[in-house]
Amino acid sequence: MLNKIKEAIVCLRPGRVTLPYPAQAEPVPENFRGVPRWDGEKCIGCAGCANNCSARAILVLDPCQELRILQYIGSRCTYCGRCAEVCPEKAIVMSNEFEMATAEASDLQQRLDIFMSTCQRCGRCFKGAAVLEGLKMSGYRSDEVGSGRWVYRSRALLEGDAVVDDIPIELD
Amino acid sequence: MANVAAGLLNVLMVLLVAPLFQGIQRKITARIQARQGPPIWQPYFDLLKLLGKEDIEAGTVPAMQRFAAYLSLAAVLTVAFLVPMGTAVPGALVGDAILLIYLLTLMGICNLLAGLAAGSAYSLVGISREMMSMVVLEPLFAIAVIVGALHAHSLRLEIVLNGSAYSGTGVPWSGIVMLGLMLLSFQAFVQRVPFDISEAETELMEGPLMEYSGPKLALFKYAQMAKLVVYSALFIGLFIPWGETLHPPLALLLFWLKSLALVLLVAVVAATHARYRIDQAVRYFAAMMIASLGALVLAAYGY
Amino acid sequence: MLESLCAQMFGRSLWVYHANSGGCNGCDIEVLNVLTPYYDVERFGIKLVGSPRHADAMLCQGPALRATADALRRAYDAMPAPKLVFAIGSCACGGGMWYDSYAVLGPVGKVIPVNFYVPGCPPRPEAIIYGVAVAVGLVDKKAAPVRFKQAEFPIPLYHPDRLHGEGELVIYESPKGV
Repeated sequence: MLNKIKEAIVCLRPGRVTLPYPAQAEPVPENFRGVPRWDGEKCIGCAGCANNCSARAILVLDPCQELRILQYIGSRCTYCGRCAEVCPEKAIVMSNEFEMATAEASDLQQRLDIFMSTCQRCGRCFKGAAVLEGLKMSGYRSDEVGSGRWVYRSRALLEGDAVVDDIPIELD
Repeated sequence: MANVAAGLLNVLMVLLVAPLFQGIQRKITARIQARQGPPIWQPYFDLLKLLGKEDIEAGTVPAMQRFAAYLSLAAVLTVAFLVPMGTAVPGALVGDAILLIYLLTLMGICNLLAGLAAGSAYSLVGISREMMSMVVLEPLFAIAVIVGALHAHSLRLEIVLNGSAYSGTGVPWSGIVMLGLMLLSFQAFVQRVPFDISEAETELMEGPLMEYSGPKLALFKYAQMAKLVVYSALFIGLFIPWGETLHPPLALLLFWLKSLALVLLVAVVAATHARYRIDQAVRYFAAMMIASLGALVLAAYGY
Repeated sequence: MLESLCAQMFGRSLWVYHANSGGCNGCDIEVLNVLTPYYDVERFGIKLVGSPRHADAMLCQGPALRATADALRRAYDAMPAPKLVFAIGSCACGGGMWYDSYAVLGPVGKVIPVNFYVPGCPPRPEAIIYGVAVAVGLVDKKAAPVRFKQAEFPIPLYHPDRLHGEGELVIYESPKGV
C-alpha cells in the first residue's frame, strides 16, 4: 500500500505534460507531408502526378485540345508525396497544413484548368519536347471529374467504349 | 420534525455534492497520470447531456429496465435519508440497523436487475461476476454494523452509527479489525478500481449498463456517484464519528471535510491500482470475510 | 429551459465510441494517442465509452468493408440521437488507397451518414482534436476548395488562314471580337 502512495507521488513529478492545443499551435516538424498544394503557374499539365498517385486521387479530363482539367480529390489522398516527387516542374509542394477537418468532402478539392498550347500552324500538339510528346502518346484523358471516378482505358477498350485516341482532332 | 428536515437536507446535499466528488476524483486521477484532466464540474455536464439524449429501449424486458433505473437512485437516496451526515439521524423514526443492511443490499441488487433486464451476453457475464463478488462482499458491511450493534446492545441507528464499533470493554479489538477491513474493502463498495469488476469497464463493454442510454443511464450514473457519498457517510458514522456533537454548521463542515478526505483516498487508490480479476477479487474478499467473522466472535464476547 | 441546457451541454461532454471497420489500425493508434496525457482530450470532457448506446459521437476508421458494413450500420443505429459521426483518416473519408478493392464497399459514407471528415494517413492527433473542435464550434474550419483557371472558353485558336505576309513580315490577323 505504501509503495502505491510512493508511486502516486512519483507520478506527480512531471506535473502536467498536456500540450495546450488548440489554444496554442504546435510547431510542425520539418519534412512534414501535409496537404499537397498545386502551383498553377508552374504546372505544365503533364499528368505525371495523376499517373503516380497511390490512391488515384488526381483526375485528368481533356474537354478539348487546348484545355486540361486536373482535379485533386482530397478525401482519398494518403499524403504519400509521390506526386510532388515526380513533378518535373516542382509545381506540387507538400505543405505544412494538416488541420483539414471539414463537414463537406468537397472542401478538400483543388482544381486546375491548364491551357495546353498548340502549334500555331496546324493546331495540333507537336512532337519534340518530351513532355508534350508524352501527351500525344498517352492520349486524351477523360476521367469523370464530377463524380470522382477514374476511367480505365484498358477496361474501356475491353468493354467497347470509345477510347479517346480515335476521336479525330479537327482543324477548324 | 427537525430530524425529518435533517434527512431531507441529507438527500439534497447528496444530490448536489455527489457529482462534485466524482469530478474531484477524476481530476485527481488525471493529475496522477500527469495530464490536465476534465474540470471538476464535468460530471454535472455529463448528467445534463445524458438527460437530453434519446431514450432507446433495447433489451429483453424494457419495463424491468425502467424499474431498475428508478430503483437504483431511489435506494441510494433512501439510505441517504437514514444516514447521519453531520446532523441528527432521522432514522429513528423509520427504521433501524436491519433496514439499513437490507437497503444496502438492495443497492447492489439494482445492478443485477439492470443486467438481467438488458439480457445481452455481456450484461449477463457482468452480473454473474457481480453476483459472485456480492456474495462475499456485502456481508462485510453487515458484519460491521452488527459488531457495532453488539457493542451498543441496540439496533437503533443513531446509536449504531455513532462510533459504536469502539464501545467494547478495554481495547476495542473488534472495532479496530473491522476498521482495517472496511478500509481495505471500501473500494469495492463504491465500485471503483481495483474492484469495479462488473461494470464501467472496457473489458465487458460496461457490463450490466450496456443497453441503457440517455436518461436511464443518467439515473444509474447518478446512483453510482451518490454511492460514494453515502458509503463514506456510513464509514464515517461507524468508525470516525468524532465531532458530531459540535454546533451544527461546524459539524456539517467537519463531516464534509472527512468525506472529502475519504474521496481523496479512494481517488489515489483508484489511480494507482489495476483492476483485479474476478477470481483474485473473490479470494481477497473471502480472506477478509474470515477475518470479519473472527471480529464478530470477538464482539460477541465483548471485546 | 432544461432542453436548451441539455443541448448546450452536448458540446461540453462528448462521449466517443470508436469503431474500426477494417482499417490498418494506424488511425486507431492516433485516436488512442489523443486520449493519452500528451494530447489529453479528456479536458474537453470527451470520454471513451465501451458501448454505442452510451456514445454521442462515433469515430470511424477504416473503409467500409463488405464484411463489416452490417456491423457498422448496427453500431450507428444503436446510438441514441443526437449523434455525430466522424470519419477519421483517408480510408474512412474517401476509401483511401483501397477504394476500388474487391473487399471494400467504399468510404464509410456509403454505409452511415458522416458529419465530419478528418483526412490524413493517419491524421495527426492535433488534426483529430482540431476536427472535434470544429464540430463542437470552438474553431473555424480551414479547408476550402481551390480553383485555378488558366484559360476559359472560348479559347482563341490560331488558324493558318489568318497568317498574312511573307518572309520576315508575317502578321497574324486576330478574328473580330477577340
